[in-house]
Amino acid sequence: MSNLEIGIWSFPALLLLIFLRVPIGLAMFSAGFAGMWVTMGNTRLPMAQLKDLAYSQFSNYSLSIVPMFLLMGYFATLGGMSQALFKAAENFLGHRKGGVAMAAIGACAGFGAICGSSLATAATMSRVSLPELKRYGYDGGFSTATLAAGGTLGILIPPSVVLVIYAILTEQNIAKLFLAAFVPGVLAAIGYMVAVSIYVRVHPASAGVREPVPMRERFRALIDVWPVLLVFLAVVGGIYGGIFTPTEGAAVGALGTGIIALVNGGLTWRTLLDSFSDTARSSAMIFFIVLGAAFYNAFLARTRVPQELSEWVVGLGMTPIAVLAAILVIYLILGCFMDSLSMILLTIPIFFPVVMALDFGLTAEHTAIWFGILVLIVVEVGLITPPVGMNLFVINAMSPETPMVSTYRAVLYYVASDIVRVVLLVAFPAITLFLLA
Amino acid sequence: AEVTLTLEHFLPPQANVPVQVLDVWADKVEADSGGRIEIERYPSMQLGGAPPELIDHVQDGIVDIGWTVVGYTPGRFPRTEVFELPFMVKDARAASYAYAKIFEEQMKDADFKDVKIVGTWVHGPGMFHTNKPVMQPGDLQGMKIRGGSRLVNDLLTRVGAEPIGMPVPAVSEALSKGVLDGTTIPWEVTPAVKVPELVRNHTEFEGPALYTLTFVLAMNKDRYESLPDDLKRVIDDNSGVPFSIFAGGTQADADGPARQVAVDLGNDIKTVSQADAEAQWMPVVQPIYESWIADMNAKGIDGQALIDEAKQLMSEYTPDMDTWGK
Amino acid sequence: MAGLHRIVLGLARLMALAGGVVLTFLIVMVCLSIIGRAGNGVLHWMLDAGFMTGTAQGLIDWGFGAIRGDFELVEAGMAFCIFAFLPYCTVTGGHASVDVFTNFLPRGVNRVLDVLIAVLFAVVLVVIAMQLYEGFLRKMSSGQTTLLLEFPVSWAYGASLVGAVAAAAVGCYLVMVRVYEILTGRLIVPNAVGADH
Ligand code: NA
Ligand code: NA
Repeated sequence: MSNLEIGIWSFPALLLLIFLRVPIGLAMFSAGFAGMWVTMGNTRLPMAQLKDLAYSQFSNYSLSIVPMFLLMGYFATLGGMSQALFKAAENFLGHRKGGVAMAAIGACAGFGAICGSSLATAATMSRVSLPELKRYGYDGGFSTATLAAGGTLGILIPPSVVLVIYAILTEQNIAKLFLAAFVPGVLAAIGYMVAVSIYVRVHPASAGVREPVPMRERFRALIDVWPVLLVFLAVVGGIYGGIFTPTEGAAVGALGTGIIALVNGGLTWRTLLDSFSDTARSSAMIFFIVLGAAFYNAFLARTRVPQELSEWVVGLGMTPIAVLAAILVIYLILGCFMDSLSMILLTIPIFFPVVMALDFGLTAEHTAIWFGILVLIVVEVGLITPPVGMNLFVINAMSPETPMVSTYRAVLYYVASDIVRVVLLVAFPAITLFLLA
Repeated sequence: AEVTLTLEHFLPPQANVPVQVLDVWADKVEADSGGRIEIERYPSMQLGGAPPELIDHVQDGIVDIGWTVVGYTPGRFPRTEVFELPFMVKDARAASYAYAKIFEEQMKDADFKDVKIVGTWVHGPGMFHTNKPVMQPGDLQGMKIRGGSRLVNDLLTRVGAEPIGMPVPAVSEALSKGVLDGTTIPWEVTPAVKVPELVRNHTEFEGPALYTLTFVLAMNKDRYESLPDDLKRVIDDNSGVPFSIFAGGTQADADGPARQVAVDLGNDIKTVSQADAEAQWMPVVQPIYESWIADMNAKGIDGQALIDEAKQLMSEYTPDMDTWGK
Repeated sequence: MAGLHRIVLGLARLMALAGGVVLTFLIVMVCLSIIGRAGNGVLHWMLDAGFMTGTAQGLIDWGFGAIRGDFELVEAGMAFCIFAFLPYCTVTGGHASVDVFTNFLPRGVNRVLDVLIAVLFAVVLVVIAMQLYEGFLRKMSSGQTTLLLEFPVSWAYGASLVGAVAAAAVGCYLVMVRVYEILTGRLIVPNAVGADH
């Protein structure tokens, strides 16, 4: 069997492991290990890779944002801050069907504006939002699906690590890419809110509705959330103002919410210990998936499956729009098995020159930017499409009582919204490009 | 092909070093072997891990060949640091020649005993790229500047900057988020990591370079030994002093076009004259020499002798030694 | 068995606590570093503006500024945290998995699956710990240090090794638990997303 065949066979093998309830990180790790073993004929290579890989993944500076923001989420809950936040949101939106879920999407978008990672956005926001959504009568699958989708806003709304890597690989201007990503990012948030309102109309029992609250009380609830807003402003302002890195922002947020929780009595030795063990549980789960994905992706890169797949599509000689569609579909498929960064690193060097050679009636720079934004979006859609989607797994694990199937069912509404958006952006490049003019 | 070798590095595929040095070398090896060797290239750390792990990847055979910055793994290859000392190197070809000579004599069976080294070279003059103009050491006070090696960070500390250590690929993200006020790198790699778009000020030094970093192109030892003798010879013929001079020279020559990118963007490029460098910068960074010699002595290496030899070798370099690929 | 499980759970929780303490230390360190960095900027601004220059210069000379090597401390500390978190996550069945298809399988088949998954997990965790130890040995012998503080990288590997070994031990213990469960029909460790709800 050639390396390429081994790489292709690893897809069904990985799916089988996952469907047999093997934890996601473990499944990817095992597929990567076995794949390298079969490819090389011995275990020397995967064993050698493991000398540093686990340490290097766990010590990744950009990822250290995850445990810090998770801890911040626990402190915010302990100090009554997330309840206050949702109370405020509910006062304004609770009388609408799906209002609180929309508030959660809005919060994800706000968080996405400061954070460059969709897994971190999804995990952090679900720590804060899942208990609240439950309190307001939202069913489990709908809540987890909402946060999994909302998490992708972490990458869609700039700043975004994926766009920085794309800019480097394709020699495009980072500032222009960030600017171009803005409108599609906002469209994503709006599209998700539309998905919420459709979902709650199709499934009326899935979300609670309250009586409207008088205006004066609505604003009074806003006053209660000032400490949260203060911390939030410090974090967002600091990151945007270039005073600190996102990871440093997470530390500021954790310390800030910790102090507030301590002052208003929510933080005691008992609850501090609980926060530590819950942070430990979620962080280890996420990092183990990250490790498994890194290992599996290293194997896939070596088999050259992503590279060969890309070259094959390129060789079909189709019309420009069909080539573009085929590329986007490939990203959706690869999105089941790979993380966003690995996908981009392996495929963009092959796809990019091809797309640039096609005529879409745009200037070269506009084609490059438009294609970058489209890739950014489909890569993120891959994270929430069933059956394999990193965000789905992570959020579902944070809500142990919710069956995976109900998350799958609900997330289809968000995937549909994503597809509509991609079609719109492909049909009307101006949506992406008009800010650059 | 009879033998497929993997080559890994940390830069994007279209950057200067991959295109003008690594691909040229790999293509020549493929051609010289009559197609019996094929070299698969994995840019941007596509096989996973971070740039500082490259040398371990080669040592363990995770990849067969790897290109890396020696300074990313401080403490492991101490002798190479002689070329990183401030105002030590004038010409990248001469320094790469000296580096390759000293490698043959002293480093082959010491620092680099665990790998087969194909080439050893330095980049063109290292310099500052910052969000504020820098002409004197005092201008750097409190600025967060990225340095790529132990000695560069020492230099940054002594001129009053706040050094932040990170590999090149992390620089653009950090500059775009305001985490850094600037970075030290040679011109050549600036377009690949978007530096001219992210900062507007560049400070060059007339005369000797503020600093240089050292590189190695390394091959897994067992993999090399496993090759048949004629293929070993293909590798050997494209290794050592001539290839190192080519690599260092080519990389330094790429500084010019890269500088033009910043010129075209209308950026502010300033030059510290040799007189100012000697009067204002040298006194501040001179103590690095003493502390480095002390460090080397502690490791049982005669630092002063190494400095003298490097200077001697650099002065004996002549352009007719630049023969590889010609 | 329940008694033994309490002990293992307690030890795993203790490791998680150690990770939590280090995490808190990192958070405070990062915040102090930000304050130092911002303060250092203000002091330089005061020097430029000629305002209280003596005090400003004094504080700068005293070293008021960012904590040197804060990035690499976060990296090394975070590696320790995650390895220390791994045993608790594993022993409480916290790893994400998909139960969609196994729900249709009979209970007995699911119990067998649990044993097989536990064995696979144990093997992987042991391999990870073993190879981290190999990496630790190499970092020791190569003498590699960090860029700024120049502390040996092997220290960070060594600290991480504690958590990795504990996780490997927990992995092996869980094999025992799953076998016990299949023999007695009792449930000791439910999965985060399991067949048993
Ligand atoms: Na973002
Ligand atoms: Na998917």
